[in-house]
Amino acid sequence: MDSYKKSKRNSVVCWIIAFAFAVFYLVVSFLPFVFMVLNSFKEKFEMLTKAVFSLPDSLNFANYREVLTGGFGRYFFNSVIVLAISLTVLLFIAACASYPLARFRFKLANPIYAGIVACMSIPVHITLIPVFKMAKYTGLYDRIWALIGPYIAFAVPISVFILTSFMKEIPREIEESAEIDGCGKIQMFFSMILPLAKPGLATLAIYNGVNMWNEFSFAYTLTQSSANRTLPLAIWEFQGQYSMNTPMIMAVLTLTLLPMIVMFLIFQDKLVKGMTAGAVKG
Amino acid sequence: MKKRTKKIVTLSMTALMGVSLAACGGSGGDGKGNGADDHSASSSDKEIVYWNIGTESPDKDVIAKAVDKFNSETDSGYTVTVVPTQNDTYKEKLVVAMSSGECPDMYSCWSGGPMYEYIDSGFGQPIDDLFHNSEIEDKLMDSAVGQATYNGHIYAVPYQNVSMSGIFYNKEMFEKYGLKEPETLEELENICDTLKKNNITPFALANGSKWTGSMYFMNLAARYGGLEPFQKAVEGEGQFTDECFIKAGEKIQEWVKNGYFPEGVNSLSEDDGQAKQLMYQETAGMLLCGSWYTGTFATDSEEFYQKIGWFPFPAIEDSQADPSIMIGTVGDQFLVFNCEGEKLEAAFECAEAHLSDEVIEFEVENGKIPPVKGIEDKLTDPITKEVVEAANNASEIQLWYDQYLPPAVSTAHLDGLQEVFGLTMTPEEAQESMQKAMDEYLAGKAE
Amino acid sequence: MKENSISLLELRQRKTRKVAALFLAPVTILMFVFILYPIADTFITSGYQWNGISEAKKFIGVENWKTLLQDKSFWIAFRNNLVIMRLSICIQIPLGLALATFLDFGGKKLTIFKVIWFIPLLMSSVAIGFLFTYALATNGGLVSTISGWFGGGNIDLLGNPKTALLAVIAVICWQFTPFYMVYFMAAFTNIPYDVFEAARIDGATRGQYFWKIALPLLVPSMKSAAILSMVGSLKYFDLIYVMTGGGPGTSTELMATYMYKQSFKTFNMGYGSAVAGGMFLLITMVSLITMKLLNGKREA
Repeated sequence: MDSYKKSKRNSVVCWIIAFAFAVFYLVVSFLPFVFMVLNSFKEKFEMLTKAVFSLPDSLNFANYREVLTGGFGRYFFNSVIVLAISLTVLLFIAACASYPLARFRFKLANPIYAGIVACMSIPVHITLIPVFKMAKYTGLYDRIWALIGPYIAFAVPISVFILTSFMKEIPREIEESAEIDGCGKIQMFFSMILPLAKPGLATLAIYNGVNMWNEFSFAYTLTQSSANRTLPLAIWEFQGQYSMNTPMIMAVLTLTLLPMIVMFLIFQDKLVKGMTAGAVKG
Repeated sequence: MKKRTKKIVTLSMTALMGVSLAACGGSGGDGKGNGADDHSASSSDKEIVYWNIGTESPDKDVIAKAVDKFNSETDSGYTVTVVPTQNDTYKEKLVVAMSSGECPDMYSCWSGGPMYEYIDSGFGQPIDDLFHNSEIEDKLMDSAVGQATYNGHIYAVPYQNVSMSGIFYNKEMFEKYGLKEPETLEELENICDTLKKNNITPFALANGSKWTGSMYFMNLAARYGGLEPFQKAVEGEGQFTDECFIKAGEKIQEWVKNGYFPEGVNSLSEDDGQAKQLMYQETAGMLLCGSWYTGTFATDSEEFYQKIGWFPFPAIEDSQADPSIMIGTVGDQFLVFNCEGEKLEAAFECAEAHLSDEVIEFEVENGKIPPVKGIEDKLTDPITKEVVEAANNASEIQLWYDQYLPPAVSTAHLDGLQEVFGLTMTPEEAQESMQKAMDEYLAGKAE
Repeated sequence: MKENSISLLELRQRKTRKVAALFLAPVTILMFVFILYPIADTFITSGYQWNGISEAKKFIGVENWKTLLQDKSFWIAFRNNLVIMRLSICIQIPLGLALATFLDFGGKKLTIFKVIWFIPLLMSSVAIGFLFTYALATNGGLVSTISGWFGGGNIDLLGNPKTALLAVIAVICWQFTPFYMVYFMAAFTNIPYDVFEAARIDGATRGQYFWKIALPLLVPSMKSAAILSMVGSLKYFDLIYVMTGGGPGTSTELMATYMYKQSFKTFNMGYGSAVAGGMFLLITMVSLITMKLLNGKREA
């Protein structure tokens, strides 16, 4: 009885400490975002004369108006298309590839897995010239479609790595019982493994989605006309040779960030659902 | 059941291929039938692709005006397509394109090391004949043509801005403390001491960007020893360890120790506006930088700009060097051509349009100083006028080291100098590493 | 009877291989086109003295690689990468795990924490770079201001070669911890619910459940996370390039920034390719060895 009380009190203390830390970390995570938004409302001179971390004089939406009347809509549309296609294809083929690597026993499994892990260590910049040449050769240069291939390819290694380790953790009994029921490998993938891997897929969707949304190197190497630019290039219009219009850039970046927050809100819900679904099935 | 799943897989595979095929088809075939649909960097038809860094106003508008003029008036049958790219990534984009042999027909770049590299690699055509038959020959400042010349040939058309390094100062502040524009280095140091005593940082400098600190070094070195030691060192006859460079480095360290620069000078970022911020907050009194700053000040705040004065870097009392020497660029952006024959003529015509009276007028209105003779009469702004006079009176104008030098040497210079500012390297060590890079470059070239 | 079972097994294995091939095909094709071909290209280029743009390339064999082995700047960069790697693993993973645990225990009420904690990962490097150059500014920056409250002087974090790397690492950790948070959240959901239920029935407290049951089950995920963090920090580029450009001096130079400068800024494409190749070999080696060590332990 006594020890029960004690542990109860302990756990309350733990909760308080944990909560205090959680709030502290909340502030640390949130402040830069707040400053970004604050600065997006300032005028250029205002930002530079007062401290960067001060409140704007007034809530003027002029920066946003100017950004939105520029090419923003077009860039946004391009980004959405590229993201939607790349992410869908990526998640599907990464899941396909992870399945045999995680659940089958065959000779080549380890070498292939090692090869894919090795591909994780590629610095993006060495691929710019070869990929540029390919885009030219296939006639995809300066089309948003040219971005899809590299975006998927560069997200594959890390995705397969994560999904494989994720699928390895799914209890083998599930599969075995299904196998006894005469369920084939392919069918097993679609009916058992894929639903169980949902939390992993959601993690990847979030992570890769963010990366693709903010991707810069390929976007500027493979496109040139403004009709084919994606969002990360939208800040160009406010960044000159000797000066940049920081508040305007902050406005662009805020607008770029908002859809990602919405996307996260949607997918993080999937994370929770993944848990309950797993509970029912498990 | 099994069949169905198999079908799903096959279907999705085909969809994958379909996307890429459709995309290929779209680009190869059905085109919208106009020139703009051809997006290649170097197109063969009647399109001239023109890359530049004019992503922001007013540069963007200047280029647009020049190109519109060409496109609407030309008889050549060619049209120019503008491709603006942001400055930071521009060099990289050029390298990627050139390495695949897809260099644009006409591109804008800085003079100096990288431009020579492009030309040496066959991506710049000499334009001597066109140039000598053109009216822009008489129009352009001689020093501008000089910076467009390489190996005895003219390769480029300078068009954008005359930018001299000099010192901007807060006039109100000078008045308040009874200070005058200095003629000598000693006077400048006295000013610094006075400002320092009144809790004002003498120089606003954001040296996280490295090239900003180089401004001080170049000017000091030129005042101590003129340009000869530098030119000799570049040609391999002299050394970057020459006395004038060492003295310049020592002076910088002396100033750092005296607190002439803001605290944490090496972490401040020029790109993020941390130098001009000190001027705007009036916690710093002076700023040594290129004269493009007139435009920066004016667009940030016209009111603040009224408080600003300018003077060239002062002479050093006991030095033999000519104090009229200026450090800067006469043109800033240079148009280089990568095409031949008829197309080259057309591209050159477009370059001429950049120097037409109406475009020049437009540039002046936007605070630029196009590198043409007699521009001082067109200018109304007192500071830009002073800058042009200083440029006209200069016995010689040296281009920024970091643009002029071979890129590897320039990197060594900037990295070393930043450590000199941080007091983590002696001027001797920094200059030795710069010389080492130069030696390596010359050795590589001699092979 | 026996013969029959063997052939059945073989049949099954053949079928397994077929399915595996089908499932692995798209990824493999992509890897060949977009990654293995560029790597091969890089290794070929590393055999040349080439400025990256000229038609004229000079074959110099292993000269670039010899230079690389003796290139102090490269090894300094590698050492900096190792510092980032160590600190990233030691900070991001425990912190990410702690945040995920908190969220897992707290349930749906804490969604707001989850969303806000996640924001750093969503922000672009440009914004992060800008905000932190101001936040870390010597005069008037957040750190200096806080130090002022406690009677300390201004602190120059980014301009001092001794602290610049640490300051940038702190920002990197700030940016990437949320990723490990989501990663571990997903891992938590992989723990079957009945394990938790059983622990509950046995009278285990939350703390006991976490330390005795959940944590051991999370070990494989932690290993993968360590590998991810390792590879990520060894090829890191973005924020360093935006915030310090490798400076002051070479104190924050990384392999990737060094490679980038050589290839695209100083017209040493041949040598830059050797740097990239060296980087690729080093990272792959380090990660495969680590994986072997980690997995070896698990099976033992």
